[in-house]
Amino acid sequence: MLTLKIWIVQALFIFFTTESVGELLDPCGYIKPESPIVQLGSNFTAVCVLKEKCMDYFHVNANYIFWKTNHVTIPKEQYTIINKTASSVTFTDISLLNIQLTCNIRTFGQIDQNVYGIRIISGLPPEKPTNLSCIVNEGKKMMCQWDPGRETYLETNFTLKSEWATEKFADCKTKRDTPTSCTVDYSPVYFVNIEVWVEAENALGKVTSDHINFDPVDKVKPSPPHNLSVSNSEELSSILKLTWINSSIQGFIGLKYNIQYRTRDASTWSQIPPEDTASTRYSFTVQDLKPFTEYVFRIRCMKEDGKGFWSDWSEEASGITYEDRPSKAPSFWYKIEPSHTHGYRSVQLIWKTLPPFEANGKILDYEVTLTRWKSRLQNYTVNDTKWTVNITNDRYIATLTARNLVGKSNAAVLTIPAYDFQATRPVTDLKAFPKDNMLWVEWTAPNESVNKYILEWCVLSDKAPCIQDWQQEDGTVHRTYLRGNLAESKCYLITVTPVYADGPGSTESIKAYLKQAPPSKGPTVRTKKVGKNEAVLEWDQLPVDVQNGFIRNYTIFYRTIIGNETAVNVDSSHTEYTLSSLTSDTLYMVRMAAYTDEGGKDGPEFTFTTPKFAQGEIEAIVVPVCLAFLLTTLLGVLFCFNKRDLIKKHIWPNVPDPSKSHIAQWSPHTPPRHNFNSKDQMYSDGNFTDVSVVEIEAANDKKPFPEDLKSLDLFKKEKISTEGHSSGIGGSSCMSSSRPSISSSDENESAQNTSGTVQYSTVVHSGYRHQVPSVQVFSRSESTQPLLDSEERPEDLQLVDNIDSSVGNLPRQQYFKQNCSQHETSPDISHFERSKQVSSVNEEDFVRLKQQISDISQPYGSGQMKMFQEISVADAFGPRTEGQVERFETVGMEAAIDEGMPKSYLPQTVRRGGYMPQ
Amino acid sequence: MQAQLLWRTLPSLVLGLLFLSMPAMGSCSDKYPELLGQLQKQADFMQHTNTLLDLYIRSQGLDKNGLKEHCRERPGAFPSKDALQRLSRRVFLRTLDTTLGQVLLRLAALEQDIPKAQDLEMLSGVKLNIRGFKNNIHCMAQLLPGSSETTEPTPTSPGASPSPTPTLDTFQRRLEGCRFLHGYHRFMRSVGQVFREWGKSLSRSRRHSPHQGLLKGARRMQLSGRNKRLMPRVQLAPGSHRGAPGG
Repeated sequence: MLTLKIWIVQALFIFFTTESVGELLDPCGYIKPESPIVQLGSNFTAVCVLKEKCMDYFHVNANYIFWKTNHVTIPKEQYTIINKTASSVTFTDISLLNIQLTCNIRTFGQIDQNVYGIRIISGLPPEKPTNLSCIVNEGKKMMCQWDPGRETYLETNFTLKSEWATEKFADCKTKRDTPTSCTVDYSPVYFVNIEVWVEAENALGKVTSDHINFDPVDKVKPSPPHNLSVSNSEELSSILKLTWINSSIQGFIGLKYNIQYRTRDASTWSQIPPEDTASTRYSFTVQDLKPFTEYVFRIRCMKEDGKGFWSDWSEEASGITYEDRPSKAPSFWYKIEPSHTHGYRSVQLIWKTLPPFEANGKILDYEVTLTRWKSRLQNYTVNDTKWTVNITNDRYIATLTARNLVGKSNAAVLTIPAYDFQATRPVTDLKAFPKDNMLWVEWTAPNESVNKYILEWCVLSDKAPCIQDWQQEDGTVHRTYLRGNLAESKCYLITVTPVYADGPGSTESIKAYLKQAPPSKGPTVRTKKVGKNEAVLEWDQLPVDVQNGFIRNYTIFYRTIIGNETAVNVDSSHTEYTLSSLTSDTLYMVRMAAYTDEGGKDGPEFTFTTPKFAQGEIEAIVVPVCLAFLLTTLLGVLFCFNKRDLIKKHIWPNVPDPSKSHIAQWSPHTPPRHNFNSKDQMYSDGNFTDVSVVEIEAANDKKPFPEDLKSLDLFKKEKISTEGHSSGIGGSSCMSSSRPSISSSDENESAQNTSGTVQYSTVVHSGYRHQVPSVQVFSRSESTQPLLDSEERPEDLQLVDNIDSSVGNLPRQQYFKQNCSQHETSPDISHFERSKQVSSVNEEDFVRLKQQISDISQPYGSGQMKMFQEISVADAFGPRTEGQVERFETVGMEAAIDEGMPKSYLPQTVRRGGYMPQ
Repeated sequence: MQAQLLWRTLPSLVLGLLFLSMPAMGSCSDKYPELLGQLQKQADFMQHTNTLLDLYIRSQGLDKNGLKEHCRERPGAFPSKDALQRLSRRVFLRTLDTTLGQVLLRLAALEQDIPKAQDLEMLSGVKLNIRGFKNNIHCMAQLLPGSSETTEPTPTSPGASPSPTPTLDTFQRRLEGCRFLHGYHRFMRSVGQVFREWGKSLSRSRRHSPHQGLLKGARRMQLSGRNKRLMPRVQLAPGSHRGAPGG
């Protein structure tokens, strides 16, 4: 009972559940057609029908229906209300392949509700298949293929149908991956016509191709002949016999063949004429082949009437024809080598191995004969391709034959001329040019008959010797290519030698490249000469190893740092070029490129700077200036010389000669001790007593006097003493220039003007005959020359007292300082040299001075001499007095006078006993 | 006599009805020489024992211990060459078609004794070839005028004894099958010779007049000219020389 209740409950649950779900899933309407497939470009109409129940529930009818495609509402113009429950929509010219179409209603005025939806698939019906063809591969089943036509965008099935007149075969349905071909399930039956066609079908239609009717045997592609073999014949070196096994199809049909052959190293095939192989056969003999040559063969077959297909090619088979005697004599040439034996020559006979197509077999050896003029023939058998023999200087004839298993070649004959033979008659118009990746040589033959030509060539290189290769050409040839292993970008030196019956002719040479390339290196340019506005550049010719071709021209590129580059083309024969119109004092960068026919290569860059001045330009300026200066100086000197009196008058007026002063004359007992030339006259009426006159000729550098030293001392003293010592009457020029001007500028100027010659006039008060005057009296000189400081300050003369004892150690530094004061008007170097001279001279002068002093002192007795000695001692050990200084000076002056200085006025001291009034 | 005539004409009538009653399928070649050449080549091919007999002997183990010597054609199993040569073309075709039909039936029976699938496949190919041969006979019969009329008797065909008596043991059955196949190959050789003669007569008639020769041949075959619709088709044949296979 309980079980029953449970069952009932479950049943009711299921019932209500199902009912409710059914209510939920039950649509309000439906669309017809349900799953439409329409043709692209066609019209399509769909109808949506609402259910009555739904219409009542939602209070809608067909007017409330609206359509959507791919969620886009379709315009109402395309709707048609069929009745209360049905509405249709029409599409024209459908272009989309896949359309989602939904029928919708608007409930309660605002809620859109989907009623039903369908998917419209568009496409095209299949086109009629074309080009149906079938093939029967031997041993396999028939396969047919066709062109399916346009794309349908729908699933389209192709079915291959076939039948006999009395029987129908099973359909052959295409596989998805090969929709355009199909292989039938049954074996082909030969000699029974079969009819074949293709049906293409999709949702929009079915179409059938044209029927083809054929005998399958006419569509056969046979298997290729197999076991192809090749055999030669000892009797005939030009034939090879082929044998093979036909495929089993030959039991049904006759076959024809294609037989192709080639030499082993060839790439193209030759074919036996088809008419010779137009029927079923099992062998074939190929003729007209080259002896001792390996040939490769292949064969294929097809139905002899030409229906069907050619089989694939058989496997290749090869065979070698039998040997024949060499068909040509070897190329034959010689080289003369120097021999150490007098009267003999070493001749190397060389020849080339015959190519296989001329050797016609394996060359066993060569036979060489050598015949001297009118002598017996000598035979030699050589295995090599060269043979060296010593022969006399006579003319020889050599022959060469090559021998193989079958026989000998014809003999190659070569005339080796006598030692003194002069070769003539060369070829003319020799040319060499590359063509088709070969180096061709062309020449014009001489007028006389030529037996053959010998072409020799080698690579020109700076690094390796020229190793020659050679080849021989017939006498009728005037153009050939070099049959060697030539390299590109190498310079070949090619020589052509015509060989006449009596010997070789003259040789002609030419250079050529198989293929040119740009140079590996560019030329290195440098300057040979650089001028202000031009530069001469020079460079070396490129080595042949880097030329890679014929250098056609050079291009020089030069530029400044900021300027544009300028290019200049230069002929290849030049190694020098002058760049002109350059800017002076400018840095130039120059490089150079060499060009072959194939391009160029730049060399390294070189820089140079143009000078600011051209060569000689400085000299042209300096020399005239110097000359002008010298001329001016000369004129000045001449002028000064001419006007010296005037100049002297203005600049350096004459100082009255104290010796001719009135004082001197005033002392009638004083005879004129010296003739002072004009001064004597000038001051002839002068009267002075005890007047000593010091005249320093400063201009005379070479012969300084003790007065110079005195002035040195004065200078030194001046340095030591405090400033401001000026007598107002006179002073040294040196002091005047260095001292901070206590003296007036006029005085300074005056001092400077008198720096050349300074005249001192000192009136020395001296007692007569050792009597010391009580009062020192000065007598004024007529001279305007200022007096020395020492005259004004007797204490300064103490330095002079030491001269006698320290003359040898005269402080050079002080002397230099004096010279230094002259620095303003003289160069330093001259000062220095001059100071040295002066220094040395002074030492000598002082020695002489001492001697003179002693000479002078002797007439005055030993007492005076003694006095001098005492003075010296006193100078050395005790304080000096003015009188002592004065005496010393006087003595010094007199010594200087004795030396006979014409232009110097040495101080004349009237001493006691020394001045003898007349 | 009347019954004999009926007996003779009945198979022809049946065959003729059979030809006519065949559904319209692939069209036959309308080139008589070509079709004749196909028949000749088929016969030449099928006469070779390696196409069937050798397979059977090997599969049945009859190639040992000299058993092959016992595989001889049973006389009367197939029409002799002479008998075939005496038949008119139409009757010859009819006889050929009937005989090959019997062969197919016998092969179906022999098939049960061939265990190897490979051999069965080959046997299937042989049967397909025979069916193809029969297709060409049908087509040739289409080309021959008056195919439904004949008064000639049909020679004895293997159809009278399509299968050995069931009382024979296996060996005997195999040997009988071997003998049958031996007779089959001999029969096909004879058929090939007949078709070769057809080809020779065609060549002779061509040399004189293609049209007349064919017509004469047709008359010699004692065929009425009622079926004139075929004549133009035959006349088209000389236009094509390529299909004429040489002997």
